[in-house]
Amino acid sequence: MPPALMNPLMPPPPPPSVSVSAPPELEGFDDVSGRSVTQNRRFGDLRGLQWRVDLGVLPSESSTSIDDLRRVTANCRRRYANLRRRLLVEPHIPKDGSNSPDLTMDNPLSQNPDSTWSRFFRNAELERMVDQDLSRLYPEHGNYFQTPGCQGILRRILLLWCLRHPECGYRQGMHELLAPLLYVLQVDVERLSEVRKLYEDIFTDKFDGLLYQENDLSYSFDFRKSQDLLEDEIGSHGNAKVKSLDELDPALQTIVLLSDAYGAEGELGIVLSEKFMEHDAYCMFDALMSGVRGSVAMADFFSSFPVAGSQTGLPPVIEASTALYHLLCLVDSSLYSHLLDLGVEPQYFSLRWLRVLFGREFSLDNLLIIWDEIFASDNSKVEKSVDDNIDWGLRILHSPRGAFIAAMAVAMLLHLRSSLLATENPTTCLQRLLNFPENINIKKLLEKAKSLQARALSVDISSPSPLIIGYHLQSKSVMTRSQTLPSETVSPKTPVNLLTDSYWEEKWRVAHEAEELKQDGIEQQIPTRKKGWTEKVKNTLRRAGSDPPPSRIKNGKKESKVVRRNILEALHKALGPEEEAEQMDCHEILCKQENLSEAAEGVQQNDNSKGDNSYSSDDRCPSGNTGIEESSSVYSDSTSPPNEANDHEITSQGSSVASNLYLDECDETADTSLSDPPLPVSDHPESIPETSESTDVDVDKSENIPQMSGCNNNDPGNSATHPKEKKQNKFQWFWKFGRNTVEGISGKVGAASEPTKSTSSCSNQSNSQPPVSSTTSEHFTSVSSKGDSVDQNVMGTLKNIGQSMLDHIQVIESVFQQDRNQGVSVENLSKNILVGKGQVTAMAALKELRKISNILSEM
Amino acid sequence: MVLVLALGDLHIPHRAPDLPAKFKSMLVPGKIQHIICTGNLSIKEVHDYLKTLCPDLHITRGEYDEDTRYPETKTLTIGQFKLGLCHGHQVIPWGDLDSLAMLQRQLDVDILVTGHTHQFTAYKHEGGVVINPGSATGAYSSITYDVNPSFVLMDIDGLRVVVYVYELIDGEVKVDKIDFKKTASIHTAH
Repeated sequence: MPPALMNPLMPPPPPPSVSVSAPPELEGFDDVSGRSVTQNRRFGDLRGLQWRVDLGVLPSESSTSIDDLRRVTANCRRRYANLRRRLLVEPHIPKDGSNSPDLTMDNPLSQNPDSTWSRFFRNAELERMVDQDLSRLYPEHGNYFQTPGCQGILRRILLLWCLRHPECGYRQGMHELLAPLLYVLQVDVERLSEVRKLYEDIFTDKFDGLLYQENDLSYSFDFRKSQDLLEDEIGSHGNAKVKSLDELDPALQTIVLLSDAYGAEGELGIVLSEKFMEHDAYCMFDALMSGVRGSVAMADFFSSFPVAGSQTGLPPVIEASTALYHLLCLVDSSLYSHLLDLGVEPQYFSLRWLRVLFGREFSLDNLLIIWDEIFASDNSKVEKSVDDNIDWGLRILHSPRGAFIAAMAVAMLLHLRSSLLATENPTTCLQRLLNFPENINIKKLLEKAKSLQARALSVDISSPSPLIIGYHLQSKSVMTRSQTLPSETVSPKTPVNLLTDSYWEEKWRVAHEAEELKQDGIEQQIPTRKKGWTEKVKNTLRRAGSDPPPSRIKNGKKESKVVRRNILEALHKALGPEEEAEQMDCHEILCKQENLSEAAEGVQQNDNSKGDNSYSSDDRCPSGNTGIEESSSVYSDSTSPPNEANDHEITSQGSSVASNLYLDECDETADTSLSDPPLPVSDHPESIPETSESTDVDVDKSENIPQMSGCNNNDPGNSATHPKEKKQNKFQWFWKFGRNTVEGISGKVGAASEPTKSTSSCSNQSNSQPPVSSTTSEHFTSVSSKGDSVDQNVMGTLKNIGQSMLDHIQVIESVFQQDRNQGVSVENLSKNILVGKGQVTAMAALKELRKISNILSEM
Repeated sequence: MVLVLALGDLHIPHRAPDLPAKFKSMLVPGKIQHIICTGNLSIKEVHDYLKTLCPDLHITRGEYDEDTRYPETKTLTIGQFKLGLCHGHQVIPWGDLDSLAMLQRQLDVDILVTGHTHQFTAYKHEGGVVINPGSATGAYSSITYDVNPSFVLMDIDGLRVVVYVYELIDGEVKVDKIDFKKTASIHTAH
């Protein structure tokens, strides 16, 4: 619209009753930009009207005619008027003029709770409470909010709402949600009066004009038709006095039509009406509190009980706080862990943020802008395909509006990031959180929030976070956690003793892969990279589904390092080197542990130097790297917290059977220069099969191994159901593959893959000493030894681990030999490049591992 | 809207041990804004009890009151109404409407509350009201022996007053209501 015409409107003198200077109002006038931002912002220049549309009070379809708007408005007002008549009791004035029939019940001293008088006294009580808060509402804008008229409106609305929703009652903070709503309505009305003053003749002459028209319909029809021409005409008109409605720009026309006392529903239908501001404000407030058919209902934030259907069993506001931290964790894990370390729980500050929708943190003007965005976000539930993860759903993240609220909070946290990170104790941290700086760039903050909102909605985020909730529970009591875990480890389908070793292996692997994923910097959590390894592990453990109890793992982690070293040294002395055992398995485990990869290389070099094969080392490295990448892609699901139930199910199903199998499988693929680390195992078996299959196929081609097609059956997803198939595949594979060691390996594999026997089946004491895997096994054992339920099984576990390590080592070695025999030239090339320094250390590590596994198996 | 409790002639402990339990359970703090008591409490403990119901307590002196500091008559203005308070043993003959109307004119009040007869009465008289709340404990008087405990609660709202009469008859609380409207002309006539 031409600025010329806008000019007379541009300086909206602050309305007399609203002495607050209202920049939002100014911005409202700038509706050119406002509208271009969002198309559905039909009344971008009339904030109150726009909010009413956004909140669902008025129909949001852009096709809705002005008349429809007026009708809906009138209906809302009627409802409120009825409510007010019904609920606001004035006992001393008989409603129908007749005396109350039963004076015994209806007298001021009646003890009957249903009597009008006792209702009256209850209302009076409520009113006093409301008044206490209202009298302190926005003291800085006191000359509007503290006027008796405004206070009366606010009081009545709050009173009615509370009476209408006795289950909620009045809670402090509600008045601060309501006040801005009334304020924007007031601003709208002020604007209307401005327009009216400027174009007085249009408003006054309208009735006469109507006489010339046959009826309203044709009248509005004409108006619409001429709308197109308007833009051209206006330019010439300029500032000249506008003679007819048609010559006004559309925005003004809307205002005029909306305030036409002769339109649909007459005076009651005047959409912008000072008289019915109270009614309108109530409708908006009600819509905001009950979250009209949406998932974010502000009323929930005031309730201290979990909402029906809540999966977390937490009060909604706590749940929302949890969601907030979850989002923060995804976005900025270092800040997250800092807050966590300080023990600053989200509800300490988010309670205040969320309950009044940031009303306390920003000035009224900025608040209106923020609410613009919040209300503009759709409140309808987004159906996600999380199905099985739905148990952990955080409701606030199910709708764009909720996500935006959470994102806004996180953006505020990020805004304070540096100062928060600088805090050393929770008190100062909270002080900074609760004294949000006043002079902030609201636009920037909103932009950040918007990007975070997109993030929150896009990622699987909405379902997850068993860990965070788990964290909640954990923080409540460590006892419960340690008690619950053992029961989790015991899955219905697998015997306990079977589970123990494979279970912990499983956990460990999950944690490691999550870490690897992170290190690869794949779309998540780069910041953690800078931290120490242990910290990373901590984080990943927290994130990766709280499978192993974090505290335990943490301890286990730290200790295990020490323990590992000690044991290795001890073993060095104690054991004679049995180097030549075949070490296929160590290979695979190395892949899993990135930090150990170098050592593994060294080991392989060692093997090479002994004339085993130089090829394998080549293989290993590429497999390690690519494997990690692959794992990241596969694993994106697992890092986004899978729900615990799933995890455990799968692990319990798969781990006992599959873990062993998988190890072997991994060996196959890895050794054959295929990337495929450890992970296919745990969380999402379905996604993995393709990779493993394809890799297998590739292997066939490149290495000319016949009948590899059999490997295609190795669907990890089927692991639980087809253990035998796999086993057989393995056998075939190995048969073709290794010549020397095949017999032994096949026996071992068979033993390992038998779910029920695997622990006890140490029949193959083939003594080839597994290398690196021992270190991992140390982790497992140190961890598992702390498990309450595992104590008796420790010995068995150790034996099993030793046994399995032996198996793995044999497999690896067989592969080495195979490689050597086949003599692939290409690999040699790459190997030469990679051989470098790492191989020495790897060799040493293999040796040590072998010793350790020996000890273990002998235990 | 103002609730005014009017009662008197309790004669505790000489003629009655206490207020009837049913009355006591109805009289709870927080509802009543003013208490006007015509006198004959007769001891300070009753005065203290009434204070717990409502701190704004107005008492005139009855002939049996221990506390001699109570005034013989008292007037107060609540809302648009002017209330006069007197025990009534000074007005002879006791309980006579014309005599009471004289006192009402003397005090220049809209509502005159007196006691002493232990009988609830309420007259609309000359644009005003003359009320006797009776005895809250049902104590006997020098005139009557068979007394029903009763008191009065006035709901004063603007130019309108609703008088609720609570009477304990055969162990049941009976409530009656009397509407009274003051017209502006009468007010100016005074």
